[in-house]
Amino acid sequence: MKGIIEFLEQETRLASFMRIVFSILCVLVIWQLVATVVTNRLLLVPPADVAVALWKETLDGSMWTNAVATVTAVVTSFIVSVIIGIAIGLGLASSRLLSLMGGPALSALNSVPIIALAPLFVAWLGLGFASKFVLVLLVAVFPVVVTTEAGLRATDKPLIEAARSFNATPWQIFTTVTFPYALPFIVSGIRVSWARALVGIVVAEFFGSFAGFGFAILSASQTFDTARVLGYVFVLGAMGLLGSVAFATLERRLAPWRQE
Amino acid sequence: MTALLRVEGVSKLFDRKGKPSVEALRDINLSINEGEFVSIVGASGSGKSTLLRIIDGLLAPTKGEVLVDGQRVTRPGRDRAMVFQQDSLLPWKSVIENVAYGLTLAGRPWAEASAVAQRFVTMTGLAGFESHYPHQLSGGMRQRVNVARALAVDPRILLLDEPFAALDAQTREIMQSELLSIWRESRKTVLLITHQIDEAVFLSDRVIVFSARPGSVRQEVKVDLPRPRELTLKRDPRFVRLVDDIWQLIEAEVRQGLKAG
Ligand SMILES: Nc1ncnc2c1ncn2[C@@H]1O[C@H](COP(=O)(O)OP(=O)(O)OP(=O)(O)O)[C@@H](O)[C@H]1O
Ligand SMILES: [Mg+2]
Repeated sequence: MKGIIEFLEQETRLASFMRIVFSILCVLVIWQLVATVVTNRLLLVPPADVAVALWKETLDGSMWTNAVATVTAVVTSFIVSVIIGIAIGLGLASSRLLSLMGGPALSALNSVPIIALAPLFVAWLGLGFASKFVLVLLVAVFPVVVTTEAGLRATDKPLIEAARSFNATPWQIFTTVTFPYALPFIVSGIRVSWARALVGIVVAEFFGSFAGFGFAILSASQTFDTARVLGYVFVLGAMGLLGSVAFATLERRLAPWRQE
Repeated sequence: MTALLRVEGVSKLFDRKGKPSVEALRDINLSINEGEFVSIVGASGSGKSTLLRIIDGLLAPTKGEVLVDGQRVTRPGRDRAMVFQQDSLLPWKSVIENVAYGLTLAGRPWAEASAVAQRFVTMTGLAGFESHYPHQLSGGMRQRVNVARALAVDPRILLLDEPFAALDAQTREIMQSELLSIWRESRKTVLLITHQIDEAVFLSDRVIVFSARPGSVRQEVKVDLPRPRELTLKRDPRFVRLVDDIWQLIEAEVRQGLKAG
């Protein structure tokens, strides 16, 4: 037992992979146990049934159709929100005036539950890609804006002074000091942003679309097909986990000195 | 001998919002010859770092001017390089990249910059650690990287702001003799700030004693001890007497500084 714990505490890739596998296994076991007690299959189905439902969806091609719809929409708008987020963050960090004027407006917008506006976006932009794109963009952009600005402002003053002492131009200071310093901050913002984008896409698809995971979950729940609902939730969870692990790894790669 | 570096009537006031401004330096006059090793000692807060920043061109003086080779200093230049009091290595760059930093900023191609940097990495005893990152080094090694980074740009004047302050006594002594041999080989003009009077005497041709805030030159002490100097010099009675004299000078200032807060 002690050996297992020591193994899992290691900082190797294998150990962190095993940690994830273990915690998923734990969830599956608990889920299975609960499902043997709760026998109402409208409320809960055991993991095996979910796997079967997923397999059926894959065979009849609807998994593929839904995946294409969701993934194209979420990935494009996620990428665009990262780019826009970094750009806005750069603007806010480089201009005192912009930050003073734009800051309050942005934090007001950030505290509005934009998700709640989903029906409005669908009404404005129609069913399909455009409304999904805009909704995801609006929920995913803020974490990147905030961390970009904070990261750029957080740069150690002595590092900037040393660069200046070596005759660095403002552009060189940006590329060799401030931006590399801010990069891990930005990536942590991107990680949060990915999780938000997934929530955004599902909600957008609830309200207005003919395909996608959100659409599939909604239609399955309307026919009380709990196994299919959970199946798609599982897929979304996997996407979230994958992104989170990937960005956390990138963050560590970019800032190894912060570990010690 | 001609003075390479001249500080003429430099004063510095720091403006603070809503509060009275701080007078950090008052009418500083210094003249340092080519190849000379000069130290500044003085109480904490007496404006030593401020003076070094002004000489480096990072800060503008409120009054007076700094001349290098007769040219007025208005901004940092290739003829000066500074080793900072605070840790200022780029944490995402390896040792060799940090040492080459000034050269790459100057637009030198990497092949050339890294070859030059390698020379100074070896000179400062860091060979074998080229690809380490600052967080993997001890404090003493990081300070060597800082010194190597400044030397790599081949400045005429080396400005050192308490470079060994964070080191333990032994490492410090070793670094002192290494600095001396680097200085002997490279024939740079060095201006060093330190709190350690014995360090100042051991290394320098001249020690400049600062008075407490506002910083001004209290006295200049010539160090007429033979070179090359070995660490055993620190037990020589002449050395001890010089250190003692300077300590007397500075003691009153330190007391006054403590009282003023
Ligand atoms: N940017 C600044 N703004 C306002 N005041 C400053 C600034 N830099 C320095 N000072 C003030 O100027 C005085 C001299 O500071 P400086 O850092 O030059 O002292 P120092 O002699 O280097 O001290 P130490 O030995 O502790 O490093 C201090 O009172 C300090 O508070
Ligand atoms: Mg200082």
